[in-house]
Amino acid sequence: MFHLPTVQFTQEQEQFRLDVRTFLQDELAKGTFTSKCDSWLSGDDPEFSKLIGQKGWIGLTWPKKYGGQERSTIDRYILTEEFLAVGAPVAAHWFADRQTGPLLLRYGTEEQREYFLPKIVKGECYFGIGLSEPNSGSDLASVSTRAEKVEGGWLVNGQKIWTSNAHLCHYMVTLVRTSAFDGKNKHAGLSQLIVDLHAEGVTVVPIKFLTGEHHYNEVFFDNVFVPDNMVVGEIGNGWAQGLAELAFERSGPERILSTFPLIDELIQELKRQNNLEGLKQASKIVARLWSLRNLSIGVAQLLETGNSEDVSIPAALVKAFGTKFEQSIPEITRLIIQTYPTLDAHRKIDRFMAESILHAPGFTIRGGTSEVLYGVVAKGVIAQ
Amino acid sequence: MSEMKDMIVDVVERMLKEKVDKDLVDTVEQGNWAPELWDLFKENGMTAVAITEENGGAGGDIEDLLNIVRLTGKYAAPIPFAETTFANYLLEFTSLQVIEDLATYMLCPNQAFTLENGKLTGEAIQIPWARHTKHLVTLAHSLEGTHLVEIDLSQAEIKHGTNLAGEPRDTAIFHHANVSQVSAVLSPDKMHAITTLNTAFQLALMTGAIDKINDLTVQYTKEREQFGRPIHRFQLVQQHIVHLAGETAIALAAFNNVTEALQMNKQNSEVAYARIRFEEIIQTVTTIAHQVHAAIGTTHEHSLHQFTRRLWSWRDEGASTSSWTNLVATQLLENSGDSLWGYLTSFSSSSPLLKVEG
Repeated sequence: MFHLPTVQFTQEQEQFRLDVRTFLQDELAKGTFTSKCDSWLSGDDPEFSKLIGQKGWIGLTWPKKYGGQERSTIDRYILTEEFLAVGAPVAAHWFADRQTGPLLLRYGTEEQREYFLPKIVKGECYFGIGLSEPNSGSDLASVSTRAEKVEGGWLVNGQKIWTSNAHLCHYMVTLVRTSAFDGKNKHAGLSQLIVDLHAEGVTVVPIKFLTGEHHYNEVFFDNVFVPDNMVVGEIGNGWAQGLAELAFERSGPERILSTFPLIDELIQELKRQNNLEGLKQASKIVARLWSLRNLSIGVAQLLETGNSEDVSIPAALVKAFGTKFEQSIPEITRLIIQTYPTLDAHRKIDRFMAESILHAPGFTIRGGTSEVLYGVVAKGVIAQ
Repeated sequence: MSEMKDMIVDVVERMLKEKVDKDLVDTVEQGNWAPELWDLFKENGMTAVAITEENGGAGGDIEDLLNIVRLTGKYAAPIPFAETTFANYLLEFTSLQVIEDLATYMLCPNQAFTLENGKLTGEAIQIPWARHTKHLVTLAHSLEGTHLVEIDLSQAEIKHGTNLAGEPRDTAIFHHANVSQVSAVLSPDKMHAITTLNTAFQLALMTGAIDKINDLTVQYTKEREQFGRPIHRFQLVQQHIVHLAGETAIALAAFNNVTEALQMNKQNSEVAYARIRFEEIIQTVTTIAHQVHAAIGTTHEHSLHQFTRRLWSWRDEGASTSSWTNLVATQLLENSGDSLWGYLTSFSSSSPLLKVEG
């Protein structure tokens, strides 16, 4: 069984949590932003991202020489929790902060780090994650976007899909095939390139989400030139590099707290109604949240101290169980309290309900479907 | 846990692995006693863990003790280890004298025992292991309030009973019996602390059994073949494995967080959350384990039931889930802060329900 460490936050960390909370409450009061469910995907606000950047809260764990604060993974965990708990619009810089920065720190060239990281930290440079393709779904090894070697760089042709916020992003870390597909070794011949989304030959086409909002995109590449210095890590090593990011991507508080603003508002409503019976039912939600959070923080602590390969299985578990939990929140809520879900509702709980119901189907899909994660976890458990 | 603590856990686990098997559990279930196993625990000083040295304790703390209790749950060790150690923990917690012999406890939900002029009268059911133990630590009600008392069970009329798992759950009837020790009147805070500690001991036992059920089930899916391959190769079985492993991981993490909170005296509502969550865990884990084991798991020959029957019994003993649910709901209602997040992440010592003294 997985032996995950427990974490007791230090006084400094508790203080940091309060500082972040106070800042967010102040900005909320000023009207800088509106709370929203699933704000890490659908709450994109470049002005807010710049504000966060000014606070030094992007790239919190990164080296100071690139503009980071060299703080711990646990500090970043706390920061992330506070953003999500209040539903702050962090989507613009989210992927660059969570994935691209760590990827470049691990595999990037010094030139790439010096060029990109300080911009990301300021909240002025956003990255998309270019993995999925039409028909690839969870079978990422079937990626067929090609990059052909040419003088001084690579020529990219193909198409990515489901790229969150590509229309706002400046760049995309794109998984491409740099040598012919080998049926016996499907994971070979893949590489990661940084594609400038404003380069010639790139077309970004919106795919509207079922709410009518624009988060996802299709991205087409037609003879897009990517210079050699935009190759991340080694040519042919793209699969292994991509895998290393997954534990960070899967185990964070964003896999538990996407619908937290709704839970919070449910409790407030029940308190206003003096509804003890409703609160008893809600206490089960609190217990589930607490128990999942233990697991998620345990993985964060392992990432801080250990080898990220050791945590890929519990990280997959956190993602599978956490997203199932956040997905269940609107369904539980509507049985406890009467709501009228509408996206443009005046009453907060009605709006949070609408956002949660309509966004929930995606939770157990994005970042690895539950079915694929179950396979990862089952194999890991059997191998133990 | 420190390295030394890990060592204690290793030693106890080895001891249990070697000494406890299905036959021993079966034998005790038929009403016998396991003297060798008890003596082994006693001689190794395990029954004195977490008792202070001035009271003859063996050192170690509540986290060590709860981890040993967890292991007795993992091996279904058929001895009143949790009962004896918790009885002593309660005695020390209420500034009474700890005792050396076998002991048990009963925290009656209703006012079963009355205390008048140092004499105890009343009847309580479901007392664990009463027939095999000498001392009973229980609550008694006087005109002043509720006290913790210690009383010699030889003065009681004992009627045998068992829980679903065949563990002794006896009735004890006292008529004007002499109590050996009486605590001062217990404040509501202290009563709450006692209930919380009791639930923490139960959580330890349950965590052990859950862990074992997971091990047995995963192992079984590797050994059992159907349609020409081990059943873990079937995707639908894999789904069962994932849910079982997930609930087990959640139980272990919850238990670790509970013990650490108790240890650091930062206990807030962890025990309540864990106890509420364990209700779902037990239901899921026992259902999946039996489904995966299929017919063989429903037989007495297989050991699975020694753990699932224990969980089905233990979940109904002690403070009920509904009482913990009620407590969290009341706390949410009265929580002065205006956000749930603030309540969940609060760390100030002023909010806790429980301050474990010492």
